[in-house]
Amino acid sequence: MLSRRLRNGYPKMKRLLSSVTDGKGFDILLVGLPLLFLLAFSGLPLLYNVLMSFQEVDIFSLGRLIRPFVGLDNYRELFAAPEFWPIMWNTVLFVVCSIAGQFTLGLALALFFDTGFRGSSFLRGLFLVSWVMPGLVVGAIWNWILSGDFGVLNYLLTSTGLISENIFWRSDVDYSLWAVVLANIWLGTSFNMILLSVGLAGIPKDLYEASELDGANVLQRFFTITLPMMRSTIGAVVSLGLIFTLQQFDLFAAITSGGPANSSNVAQYWAWELSFRQYDFAKGATVSTLMIITVMIAAVLYVRSTRHEVRI
Amino acid sequence: MKRLHILGGSVTALALLASSAFAEDVTISVWSLDKETQPAYNLAKEFNDLDNGIKVDYRIVQFDDVVTEAMRAFATGQAPDIIAVDNPEHALFAARGAFLDLTDRIAASDAIDAENYFPGPLNSVTWDSKHFGVPKATNTIALYYNTDMFEAAGLDPEDPPETWDELVEAARKLNRPEDNVYGIAFSAKASEEGTFQFLPWVQMTGGGYDKINGDGAVRALEIWKTLLDEGLASPDTLTRGQWDSTGTFNSGNAAMVISGPWELNRMVEEADFNWRVALLPVPEEGAPRASAMGDFNWAIFANTEHPDEAFQALEYFASQDERLFPDFGQLPARGDVELPPTGVAPKDAALKVFLEQLKYAKARGPHPEWPKISKAIQDAIQLTLTGQKTAQAALDDAQERIDAVLN
Repeated sequence: MLSRRLRNGYPKMKRLLSSVTDGKGFDILLVGLPLLFLLAFSGLPLLYNVLMSFQEVDIFSLGRLIRPFVGLDNYRELFAAPEFWPIMWNTVLFVVCSIAGQFTLGLALALFFDTGFRGSSFLRGLFLVSWVMPGLVVGAIWNWILSGDFGVLNYLLTSTGLISENIFWRSDVDYSLWAVVLANIWLGTSFNMILLSVGLAGIPKDLYEASELDGANVLQRFFTITLPMMRSTIGAVVSLGLIFTLQQFDLFAAITSGGPANSSNVAQYWAWELSFRQYDFAKGATVSTLMIITVMIAAVLYVRSTRHEVRI
Repeated sequence: MKRLHILGGSVTALALLASSAFAEDVTISVWSLDKETQPAYNLAKEFNDLDNGIKVDYRIVQFDDVVTEAMRAFATGQAPDIIAVDNPEHALFAARGAFLDLTDRIAASDAIDAENYFPGPLNSVTWDSKHFGVPKATNTIALYYNTDMFEAAGLDPEDPPETWDELVEAARKLNRPEDNVYGIAFSAKASEEGTFQFLPWVQMTGGGYDKINGDGAVRALEIWKTLLDEGLASPDTLTRGQWDSTGTFNSGNAAMVISGPWELNRMVEEADFNWRVALLPVPEEGAPRASAMGDFNWAIFANTEHPDEAFQALEYFASQDERLFPDFGQLPARGDVELPPTGVAPKDAALKVFLEQLKYAKARGPHPEWPKISKAIQDAIQLTLTGQKTAQAALDDAQERIDAVLN
């Protein structure tokens, strides 16, 4: 009934309906649903977080939306905190060094397995074990490896004569951040390797053959074919790496708790500490907001860098 | 994960019992961190079975989640009737009127007499000279020492260190790096545990959380630094909690350890050497004693619909305090409860010392912004021990931050 009336009596409606089932409207629907979903489950919490960073949040006003507005006070107090810059610098070091380590090792392993020796795909699969393990378990294992008095790493280093005195990886301000970076590189390398392996597999082999005929050596082939052809993969790996390292929380909780004296504290752990250890939810939200801004800048850079790329 | 856990906790036999009860029964909800083998779980169950028209819906809340869960529940009007909360966080709720004032009920009660409680625990439930709860149990810290190592080092086990200087001296004699033995173990972790261990040292010199940079406090922190600088304690003291630190004592890798009675059962099981417990050393002979005070308090939320029934439950819990130690290995927070011997000699001897030490145990705070005060103290400890600031400068900074919170 309805459809016939639509078909005969309401040409405008008819056009709309047909556009929804097939055409522009359908496209909009396909894009709109996930957008709505994103807005509800990511957008609103993000906005709520930004809102909280401008308010005075008390443990008993947690359930309310309307709270005293304090302008930029939270930001001002945060910037003035003596631990602010050291923690931000730690975050930069942690992110850059983790990504650099994960990426370099991941690419080396991917190239290694790409040679296709016997059993290479099986071994490559085994590497994924580290990625599958929960962060807290990884943290507990590394805690044991890095322990000062009876740690496995210290044992290895002393028995090979590399160090003469135990290094207190978790408790020495000069090493604590690096202890977590080390564990994080181990955790993330396999994921980098898999994504980069996929990228390598996507490069047409005839390119290499042609260049070989032209007399290009291994290094030339790597820099003129492999790297340029992997551009989008590398962009994706690095952006995902940025997101994963900025999310990395478990390792800090398990290995150093951000200590000693904040020497291994980073923004994400600090935000949690402020919110759930000192119950200063506004400050915690402020740190999170700063992190959102950072990730957004990185996201824009990533999108721009891959926008003009040539697809095969 | 967390949500699953909560579900798991609430689906207990108690909940089932509660739902099958008579319609006219009043149901009160109790949140606590105690599991099946611990007191609150069992006492709540027994109270539920009393057939007095009050049913109990018991839920286990994980230690780390108690405050945030409680705040969220209170903010959304879904708070339980009764909650067990860690003592330094009691004032956080009491000062904001989230807990019910129990002063009059306690005064009229036969089962609960405020006079019987140790001053430290009682102080922690008190805000504005009113009682906003009842201490659930208590604990404190003292000095465990390995008597075999004492004898081997030429020290008299009958005469454990009584002053700070004697403690450092003993640690020096007991320290044997070549055998992987540290003189002493303790925790200076940047968490509540660090504050818990350090604050008594300050309190012995007449200071407190509101006066953290006195000469005595500076000396205390300098002694901690000496212990670390001379290698008398493991550098991991900075990142290790009390439980792990005591683990190194149990395995014979530390000759002394500062920790609490919660270690007794494990130590009896693990330590294959002779050990004893002594009171926490004081700054100098004749100086006042102090020690930390730990464990949880009971409280009733102010917006409960059944304050009388909830208080009745607390009265029942308090009436069973005699069983806390024999059945569950916890110390009641009151001096009028006789603790029967367990038959394990070192444990019974240690218990006597802990009961003596409890008399000097002092509450942390109470202050509604305790976590911020505690954080300032933790930062001072860590900055000094890692050599980034002098004890004086670090404690001056902490004092400044604490003053900002207090005023």
